[in-house]
Amino acid sequence: MNTQYKKGVLELCVLALLKKHDCYGYEISEYLSNHIDIADGTVYPILRKLKSDGVLTTYLQEESGGPPRKYYSLTDLGKQTFQNERAEYLDFAKSIRALLEDDNND
Amino acid sequence: MTKNEFLSKLENELKKNGIEDVDDILGEYEEHFAFKLADGYTEEEIAAKLGKPAELAAQFENDGSGEKRGGRKLVTVIGLVFADLFAAICFALLWAFEAAMAAAAAATGTLSVCLLLGLNIHSWIPAMPYWCGAIFGLCLAALTVLAAVGCIYVAAYLRQLMRSFARFQHNSMAAASGRPILPPIPTNPQLPAKMRRTLRQFALVSLAAFAICFVLGMLVSMLSAHALSFWHAWGWFGYTGLN
Repeated sequence: MNTQYKKGVLELCVLALLKKHDCYGYEISEYLSNHIDIADGTVYPILRKLKSDGVLTTYLQEESGGPPRKYYSLTDLGKQTFQNERAEYLDFAKSIRALLEDDNND
Repeated sequence: MTKNEFLSKLENELKKNGIEDVDDILGEYEEHFAFKLADGYTEEEIAAKLGKPAELAAQFENDGSGEKRGGRKLVTVIGLVFADLFAAICFALLWAFEAAMAAAAAATGTLSVCLLLGLNIHSWIPAMPYWCGAIFGLCLAALTVLAAVGCIYVAAYLRQLMRSFARFQHNSMAAASGRPILPPIPTNPQLPAKMRRTLRQFALVSLAAFAICFVLGMLVSMLSAHALSFWHAWGWFGYTGLN
């Protein structure tokens, strides 16, 4: 699948994951690469972009027996963005699906 | 590709693309390696699954916030310089207070030893019967302990205050340059509970001892001088009252 196309959707997926709870980078990478066919490394550029957009923030948290981990969490802007983009995407996907399935039936 | 090969290639590509905070990005990938290695994958497998360094580096956009951040950083630095000047003066004054208190503790300590041992070098201490002096000596010894406890507490407080200020500075700079923020440090001293209890006990006991010895010393002096203002009777300060 087209990388650019996937990237846009991946941003939404990252927001959806973080909406549930704060995660560290590896958690997000692991979840997405298990569910979607992408290279493991692709998630980190997305996280960085979302952070510079002000949608995510990071904080360090001490872990028992290890160096502190960098956790990502949604900002208020991020929560708002997620709501808007989620609705937009679902709408969009519904139209496309209808169109494609219609096309199949012909 | 081994971990080090992957990371150094990625570093080169990122630098070539003029990306900021390269260390931060490399840190993420290093952590990724650490997790995967712990799961039993080899470095080669992990690197292959991550993707090609050049392609990954290309996905990091230079968000153009470099100049904006530069401006914000400058404002932060200027702000911090003024905050530092102010804080430096405050810290200097507070440490001067600490030094004065330590000097007072040393002085009262010395005086109490002289009074207890009956030493009167160059007759610096006003004349008085030994027992009156000894009680005042105990009183001063208690005051010395009290001042020493105060010194320890103030020193701990100042140390913590400076650490807290340093963390505030670090976080201000981190926020201005987009690095992660560390949790703030509390300003009150974080002494171990046992030490805090011991210090409090010392302070209370020495305060009580000081009060008791002071009153006792006054009473004994008045009785032995047969006068309420015994200092006049003993001709202290070069003044002998009505005589």
